[in-house]
Amino acid sequence: MTVSSGSGDDIEAAAAAWAVRTATRELTQDEQQQLDHWLAGSSRHLGAYVRAQAIWSDTDRVAALDEVSRNDLPDVRPPIRWGRFAMAASVAVALIGGGVGYDQLAGRVTTSRDEVRRLVLDDGSVAVLNGDSALQVRYDGSARRVVLRRGEALFEVRHGDPRPFLVSAEDVTVRAVGTKFAVGFEDGDVEVTVEEGEVAVAGGPATAAPRLVRRNEQLVAAAAGARRAMLEPDEVERRLAWRQGLLVFDGQSLGRAAEEVNRYSRVPVTIDDPTLARAEFVGVFRIGDGRAFAHAAAQAFNGEVHEREGRLHLMRQQNSPSH
Amino acid sequence: MDHSHRVRWFAREVLPHEPDVRRWLVARLRGLESCDVDEVIQEAYARMWAADLDKVVNARAYLFVTARHIVGEHLRRSRIVSIELMADLEVLNIVDDEVNAHRRLSGKQEIERLNEIISRLPPKCRQAFQLKKFGELSQREIAQRMGVAESTVEKHLAKALRILGQEMKTTADEAEVSDVDDSKFWKWGRH
Repeated sequence: MTVSSGSGDDIEAAAAAWAVRTATRELTQDEQQQLDHWLAGSSRHLGAYVRAQAIWSDTDRVAALDEVSRNDLPDVRPPIRWGRFAMAASVAVALIGGGVGYDQLAGRVTTSRDEVRRLVLDDGSVAVLNGDSALQVRYDGSARRVVLRRGEALFEVRHGDPRPFLVSAEDVTVRAVGTKFAVGFEDGDVEVTVEEGEVAVAGGPATAAPRLVRRNEQLVAAAAGARRAMLEPDEVERRLAWRQGLLVFDGQSLGRAAEEVNRYSRVPVTIDDPTLARAEFVGVFRIGDGRAFAHAAAQAFNGEVHEREGRLHLMRQQNSPSH
Repeated sequence: MDHSHRVRWFAREVLPHEPDVRRWLVARLRGLESCDVDEVIQEAYARMWAADLDKVVNARAYLFVTARHIVGEHLRRSRIVSIELMADLEVLNIVDDEVNAHRRLSGKQEIERLNEIISRLPPKCRQAFQLKKFGELSQREIAQRMGVAESTVEKHLAKALRILGQEMKTTADEAEVSDVDDSKFWKWGRH
């Protein structure tokens, strides 16, 4: 232990100042020299500096998981939030498929696991079909009707058409006018998520009367009864990120994230360690890219990936420092 | 591991255990004015930074053992050494898997804790920190928004970090943790 140079408080204040500088901008040449000189002065300086950097970095992690603090900001909200995840891994904004006209598809459209397809319907409305999904388009003189057979689809309804826009999923019917919303099957229930405007949902096991679902609301028509949830706009955006060919994770458990990834990936990801499956994960991935996901998760949690029999097994490193 | 990986490794693997090491040190070093807890912790971070982290199997144990070494060196240099204390230091044994699991699952508590600390920051300090961390603005943007110089923003941020560093010397759930019988996690005494 070196003889202390300055009190502990001074050291910690200096360490905090250097940690902020190095974390937020390039140091000038002068500053770099000063920092080197300061660090060389005492191992306590180095220790305090390492600690300050670790705390700065730790608050990033917490910030990434947190919704409340961000919402507290008076008028500060980044226009798109992808920036936050840029570091996480293999980020590529790519729309798979593209403008496929539905008329060439004789009404029925299906997608494979690793594709997301955007359909422009006759009236100019847009349907974006998630992976492993199927829908049928039936437009006639009285209604614009779409039947979701499987999976999930997002709709952007064109204004100004007098015909109602109706989406049915099993016995649930969603009626919308000039609205953005998604309908999907999730564990056998039908989920309706509204991003813009409002829709009326009728049918379903326990929804006799039509219910209005508004912006940033989600209604789940389940056998046990309908559940309604308010969602933060960011959460709606996250859940519907697949329309851009992306999966976004913002503190979901790694296990849940893997389930979602596997929905699209031809090479499924298996997490063998239950403690790893519970870990909270942040990242953005291109749909279908199970490999990128597995490797990013391995990196984040000091794990490793082994490919066996067409599956990617994610596990902790044998000599991982976290074990 | 490159620099930023190492920093994140410290954030993930070392920081959560620091309050426990501090409590242990406070209990051991009571009355030894020449040995300062902050000093031991700083020295421990410095030594761990220099270590080959890829080979560290258990960061919690490593942190404790490093801190113990540092105190041991210090005591050996000083004239008055309590034999009991030396014995205590020799037999430190950490059974930590349970604690590790406990810590890892408390992401929500971490967020609450951070929010609570942030809410108590001085107003300017808090504003700068929130704009930086949650608004993801650059120094320049923050400076414009707050109507101050960029160097002032930096000072606010450094102060915020300094306060966070102070707060993180203890756990939010200090009371809760100490309710749990320590011997469940720790084994003291000779074998």
